[in-house]
Amino acid sequence: MTPIIQCRGVERTYTQGAVAVPALRGVDLTIGRGDFATLAGPSGSGKTTLLSVIGGLDRPSAGEILIEGRSIGGLDAAQLAELRLHKIGFVFQSYSLIPVLTALENVEFILRLLGVPRAERLARAREALHQVGLAGLEDRRPARLSGGQQQRVAVARALAPRPALVLADEPTANLDSANAGELIALMQDLNAASGITFLIATHDARVIAHSRRHIEMTDGRITLDESSSPAAA
Amino acid sequence: MLLLLAWRNLWRRPQRTLLSLLSITLVVALLVCMLSFQRGVYQAMKENTLGVFDGYAQFQPPGYRDDPTIDRSIEHPAAIVRDALAIQGVGAAGARVNGFGILASGARSYGALIAGVEPRSESQLSSIAATVREGRYLNDTDSDAAVLGELLARNLRVAVGDTVSVLGAARDGSVAADVLTVVGIFRSGIPQLDRSILEMPLARAQDAFDMSDRANTIALGGRTLAGVDAALPRLSALGARHGIALLDWQALEPAMRDAIALKYAMSLLLYLTLVAVVAFIILNALLMSVLERTQEFGVLLAVGMRARAIGLMVWLELLTLALSGCALGFLIGAGATLWLERRGISFGSLSQLLAQYGLPPRLHPALDLVSALTGPVAILVAIVLGGMVPYARVARLTALAAMRSA
Repeated sequence: MTPIIQCRGVERTYTQGAVAVPALRGVDLTIGRGDFATLAGPSGSGKTTLLSVIGGLDRPSAGEILIEGRSIGGLDAAQLAELRLHKIGFVFQSYSLIPVLTALENVEFILRLLGVPRAERLARAREALHQVGLAGLEDRRPARLSGGQQQRVAVARALAPRPALVLADEPTANLDSANAGELIALMQDLNAASGITFLIATHDARVIAHSRRHIEMTDGRITLDESSSPAAA
Repeated sequence: MLLLLAWRNLWRRPQRTLLSLLSITLVVALLVCMLSFQRGVYQAMKENTLGVFDGYAQFQPPGYRDDPTIDRSIEHPAAIVRDALAIQGVGAAGARVNGFGILASGARSYGALIAGVEPRSESQLSSIAATVREGRYLNDTDSDAAVLGELLARNLRVAVGDTVSVLGAARDGSVAADVLTVVGIFRSGIPQLDRSILEMPLARAQDAFDMSDRANTIALGGRTLAGVDAALPRLSALGARHGIALLDWQALEPAMRDAIALKYAMSLLLYLTLVAVVAFIILNALLMSVLERTQEFGVLLAVGMRARAIGLMVWLELLTLALSGCALGFLIGAGATLWLERRGISFGSLSQLLAQYGLPPRLHPALDLVSALTGPVAILVAIVLGGMVPYARVARLTALAAMRSA
């Protein structure tokens, strides 16, 4: 499998006053294209930090990260923004939609950033919302959607630019069991249908159970990395 | 999309946006009204004061303003008057001989300015003709007639029909002497003028003061002071061709010019304070809104939006708010000013006090480009420039720090 993410000896140390707090301690990780991997571990184990440095939201203190074989260490803030826009979709725990835009506009917005023409933009945004099961709710603002529906809009927003990689940080943490189950199934379907790589940081055993690859982190290090056949959603 | 986002963001908290809009609207409306009123008052003050005797501008021989002696004169004034009247904006022009001398009646004598004037043009240039309280003003057929101020007549104890002896120095150094019959007594409302001016026909004054075909000044007037001011460049060229100086209203009434400039400077402090206060109120509201949305900005950065684009969105919110407030304030301020301009503002018992400053009893604001646009433009510029602060704050954000800010 062609690697989409390669982490080589990645370290990230934060300083709190005079104290150095290591969040990542020499992480080596390769994720293949089309993988559906979960990243688990207790709070403070470095899951979110690892997602941040892979997504170019944060810079490692040491080591190297390659996305599709290209090192992102030398990219400036604008280049990293371009990389995220074109290659990486994000799904956050708190849905993170723009409250003043409708579901359709939230998805369309990111396509506008990409410079997609209006007609194509609208068609792709509608298609993405249809894919996540929100057809008919395009004109609703986030406040008029349930938590599960908002998270589906967030997934649609992440998918609309047709990224190679989706990084999801605790995507089911705020959802009830039924909605969480539907979201996991949705991400699995998208992974199977379009080959988009998913790397999901989660505590949720249901998500872990459905992943093809499971990675455990403790104290900034990878302590387990195993592949398995996923359970049916 | 950014504009749509900016507009919708403004209405996330309608109460805050409405209060901000209201403060901009009120201050802009207030600035339009205050500045219009101030300009209207100063315009009335200038036109009333200059219209008593000076005229809106004057041609004078070089050096006459500093040393107004009768031997400094303009030759063949009629040709210059004719050319001046051909210039757009100039509605009246009249030559004057200004002699200083002693007026005597019986045993009483007083020093005065003896002005030789052309009655027809003078009644358009000066309000003296309209303020004759006894008798009548001079006319073109008069020869030995004179009108004089009420206080001067009282001091000389003369009435209409009495004679007054004039004794002064002629242009050639000889004695200028004449006897004139009082045909009218005026009360201009300006005591200084009422006790010191006698007007007589120009031709007779030219004879008495040995001026031949000369005058000391040519007063210029028109329908409005602004019209004459607009004609100044062409009048100046005319004066230059004849080797004479053109004095505008500021040169004719330097004390009034300085007083107006001082009042403008003092008002400017008030206006700037108003602009600064409203700008700070709006910026504070916007900074609050930016702080509240920092986490949201972090998400936008994470999905690939540039920090500058987010900054621009915030700046557009401010611009939209400022433009809306300025437009509303302008409409309200201009509407109120136009209504007052037509109706006028009466100050009742203060009208006598106003008259001392050359003001009519009913004042009219003057809405023009300056008074209408200075306030809105100042507010807009202050808010838009101030908007660079939240813009810079947002433009420096990083995705991770912003998302962790909650």
